Amino acid sequence: MRWQRGLWLFLVPSFGLMALVLLWPLAYAAYLSMFDYHLGSPGMRFVGLANYGQLLSEARLWQSLWTTIVIALGSVGVEFLLGFVLAFALYRLTFSVRVFMILLFLPHIITPVVATLFLKWILTSNWGLIDATLMTFNIGPPDWLGNPVWAKICVILADAWIFTPFVMLVLYAALQALDQAQIEAASIDGANSWHMIRHIILPSLVPVIVFTVSVRLMDVFRFFDAVYVLTGGGPGTATETITMYTYQLGFQLLQVGKASALGIITLVIVAAVIATFSHLLQRGYGRTG
Amino acid sequence: MSRTSLTRRSLIGAAAATALAPYVKPAHAAGPIRVISHRQPALEYYTEQMKKALPEGQVSVELMPIDKEIELASITMSSKSDAIDVAYLNDTTMQKFAASGWLEPLDDLWAKYKGEFKLDDFPKSVIDSISYNGRIYSMPILTNTEMFFYREDLFKESGTALPKTMQEYFEAAKKLHQGRVSGTIMTLKPVDGCLNESHWYLNAIGEGWFDKGWKPIFNQPAGVKAITMMKEMTAFAPRGFTSAANDESSINLQQGLAAMGLQWFTRAASMDDEKKSRFVGKINWIVPPGGGQRIANDGYAISKYSSKDKDAIFKMLATAASQQSMQKGAELAMPPRLSVLDDPELNKKYRWYSAARASLEVGKPFPSMPDFLDVGAIVTRYILQAVTNEKEVKVALDMAAKETAELLQSRGYYK
Repeated sequence: MRWQRGLWLFLVPSFGLMALVLLWPLAYAAYLSMFDYHLGSPGMRFVGLANYGQLLSEARLWQSLWTTIVIALGSVGVEFLLGFVLAFALYRLTFSVRVFMILLFLPHIITPVVATLFLKWILTSNWGLIDATLMTFNIGPPDWLGNPVWAKICVILADAWIFTPFVMLVLYAALQALDQAQIEAASIDGANSWHMIRHIILPSLVPVIVFTVSVRLMDVFRFFDAVYVLTGGGPGTATETITMYTYQLGFQLLQVGKASALGIITLVIVAAVIATFSHLLQRGYGRTG
Repeated sequence: MSRTSLTRRSLIGAAAATALAPYVKPAHAAGPIRVISHRQPALEYYTEQMKKALPEGQVSVELMPIDKEIELASITMSSKSDAIDVAYLNDTTMQKFAASGWLEPLDDLWAKYKGEFKLDDFPKSVIDSISYNGRIYSMPILTNTEMFFYREDLFKESGTALPKTMQEYFEAAKKLHQGRVSGTIMTLKPVDGCLNESHWYLNAIGEGWFDKGWKPIFNQPAGVKAITMMKEMTAFAPRGFTSAANDESSINLQQGLAAMGLQWFTRAASMDDEKKSRFVGKINWIVPPGGGQRIANDGYAISKYSSKDKDAIFKMLATAASQQSMQKGAELAMPPRLSVLDDPELNKKYRWYSAARASLEVGKPFPSMPDFLDVGAIVTRYILQAVTNEKEVKVALDMAAKETAELLQSRGYYK
């Protein structure tokens, strides 16, 4: 219709805003990634894809990527399991749901850096809350943030503590929208709780699960604040994620070109992970229920 | 033929401008002078003196850990922003910032106010440390050295002799590592803490960082021996040493959780502060075994991009660094002014001064290169991998040396 031709004009403000805050920085990062540019150096030298080649040949990149994957899968796994259990418990609860919901949601309301600072003082060696308590009973605790394995576990648990409430809330909202007739029918047919979860509830929640896990995976791949505050990427490089590496390149070594290239590589990896995960999950359940 | 038209409005404007001209000064941005600084007791004192140097509300001070402060200064100044007017810089970071063109040279202001603020009172070594390519870039505020802190009571009870060599230090740490008391503090938080500790080991046992042509030598046999001993020493360090900064190490000493170790002069007073320390009078100081620990001259520099009145900023800094101010500040940090350092009352009043003066004799500053902190970021990462058993010491140091050489090659150090 003729009157519809001019409607594209309504898209201009939102597209303009997106271009300004999203596409322009992205394009600028892609542009910078093709230069040997060190802050403080007199100028920039065009090097094409050399920054990408150099990064991809570095063991440090692959190690930080592996650490990111371990932390991402660990924390999203814990968040999903705990979040689902809590959401299901709230769904079945018949009293004080709101009170429990608010209490469970508290860690997510606090700013992540502040929440992680709390955890840091709880986990600090010798005079932290956990250490001081255990040592009162003559129990020698492990070096939570100084041992490579424990440091990874602490980082995973820190992220899970902050973001499990988010997963719980989304899944709880999705549970509210379940088709009760289907559940009642299954109940009449003699399905127990596990069968109900396995064959009715989980398949019904697939779109929400895909959304939640995708959002969390994207977040965890850009995971920075908890690692920065808790371990600074250490001990050694045991908890150095890909964003910690980018941060060190950009803000400590001031290698802007290389840091931008690493940012673009991260973007590609995250997009690939999300696409693969989404595809696998959709295919696995087929959305047929 | 064209001619310039003379209107009533332009005549009034010209008259007003002529009348106001004598009162017009160069435009400076409104708002307080923004000072960012590392947080430690001495700098809290000196930044307070800066606030007092100008009328209330004209100076705003933000104190934070040094790595955050350097990051903030780097990002702000590299983007040519005027958001920061004054930044605290140590000698290494000062060189880097000056080489990048981010700092205001102070030679003219130094000459202008030399008499008023007795700036000749600073020794040549201090002036050299705040200069880059022959120009002065910072107002010296403190001379700092690391010293060897030890629990005198524990040494006496166990009959242990005070260590003079690194081997004796190792043996003493092993002997005093009992129960909840660790043998020694180790400050290995990257980058600053680990860099300082490594600097000591590499100088006391190894042969330092570089040869004369800036080629890395820390991976030579002596350097490997040094970092191997550092790794072995971690067996006697408090848990959490890989993330321990100076604050954590000081608390370990104050709370009796460690018997000895390397710490800064600026932490000495807090050992005798009964609000913070459980062992007032029991901690003493000597020259670090083997020598070669870090010494530093720190100061405050003016951003080249500051839009404030630089004359006023300089006077504010010079007031904070005046003889009178440093006389009071001597409790918290070693003042770089000769007139204050030569005061015989200091030794009587502050019992750690004699050890500090002796430590200055054997200490070493970081290598004099603007890119040393970048080198430090690389090397400390590998040293921590070695210390935490992620890599063999030799392998880690070889990789660090290779990466360092590549970095310095790219920055034009080698022909």
